[in-house]
Amino acid sequence: MGGDAYTFKLFGLMFNWTNVLSGLAVFAIVFFLLFWLSRKLTMKPTGKQNVLEWFVDFTNGIVQGQMPAEFAPRYSFLGFFLFIFIFVANQFGLILQFGWGGHELLRSPTADPVITMTLSFSIMVLTHFVGVAQKGIFKYLKGYVKPYALLLPINLFEEFGNFLTLGLRLFGNIYAGELLMKMIAGLALPDGHLSLGVIYALPLSVLWQGFSVFIGAIQAYVFVTLTSVYISHKIAEE
Amino acid sequence: MFAQSVLAESNSLYVGDMIFYIVSLVILMLLVKKFAWGPVVKMMQDRADKIANDIDSAETSREEATKLAEKRESELQNSRSEAATIVGNAKQSGESQRTQIITTAQNEAQALKENGQHDAEQAREDALKSAKDDVANLSIEIASKIIHKELSASDQKALIDSYIEGLGKE
Repeated sequence: MGGDAYTFKLFGLMFNWTNVLSGLAVFAIVFFLLFWLSRKLTMKPTGKQNVLEWFVDFTNGIVQGQMPAEFAPRYSFLGFFLFIFIFVANQFGLILQFGWGGHELLRSPTADPVITMTLSFSIMVLTHFVGVAQKGIFKYLKGYVKPYALLLPINLFEEFGNFLTLGLRLFGNIYAGELLMKMIAGLALPDGHLSLGVIYALPLSVLWQGFSVFIGAIQAYVFVTLTSVYISHKIAEE
Repeated sequence: MFAQSVLAESNSLYVGDMIFYIVSLVILMLLVKKFAWGPVVKMMQDRADKIANDIDSAETSREEATKLAEKRESELQNSRSEAATIVGNAKQSGESQRTQIITTAQNEAQALKENGQHDAEQAREDALKSAKDDVANLSIEIASKIIHKELSASDQKALIDSYIEGLGKE
């Protein structure tokens, strides 16, 4: 699927160096960022603690807005974690893209459909799991024939559609952003050497990067919102 | 290390990547929950509790303050009336004492006066009595002296006259 990336095989499984390295970088950034933000917590918040608490409040707000109040605290950590991870992953490729020998090694992990579909697949598995855990298998299955048994195929298709759109929306936005970044960079460096194109490529690049930061934040927000909606849809009694 | 790596077989799915991401996301979630989420949420909860407690205790102390103010007000009222009673009592007792003192003084003065009168009466009586005695003695003496002397007729007459005069005066 990836095309021209470096890959390696381990235990018979195919790994893509780009995804592994970018993923590790993002994991490290997320962990150390949050670890650093959460040091020296005090009753009266100052500086970085305010930033972290603002993030917590923000993602709590997203989750609480989408599901009944009694369930919200259980999923607030999921919302927080997904938001931070996807946000950092989206911005990562804007700040740092690294290639070697004509092949990419570092970029946004979320610009790869395999990664976003993995995320979306995990979320869908989670929603079905909590649906069964919350309502019991019988009621869970009954949800597919509501309000009419005739709607069963449409309900099943909706589940599949949710899975596809959740992952592909994120992938499409970030991949398109990075592709355009590369094309703008190509204006400045048409044949690997700096050209006069840099004069108009630079402001374009700045504009597009700013816009991509915005897109990345929006997509993280949308992903968390939809995750909450899907979970809420599965656990809430109608 | 990239030398041994195969370039992507375009149509194969990177199952390894999927597993790698799922596993590392779970690990990262646990780490973040332990090191960042847990402490910060606990702190936020603690703060929320503290604020709630502070509001409650502020309410309680406000009520206490109101109660204290009321109590103080009523005590002030009490002490005011108490002071009035004390002053009234003091006035009353002063008045009665005054009356008593005056009465005593009057009585004493009366007694003194009576004593004085009595003494004076006594002294007068005593003086009168002794004077009577003296007069009697003197009369007797005079009489004896006169008797010792030769009485002339005129002398006798004068004596008798004076005697009669004296009788008439008695």
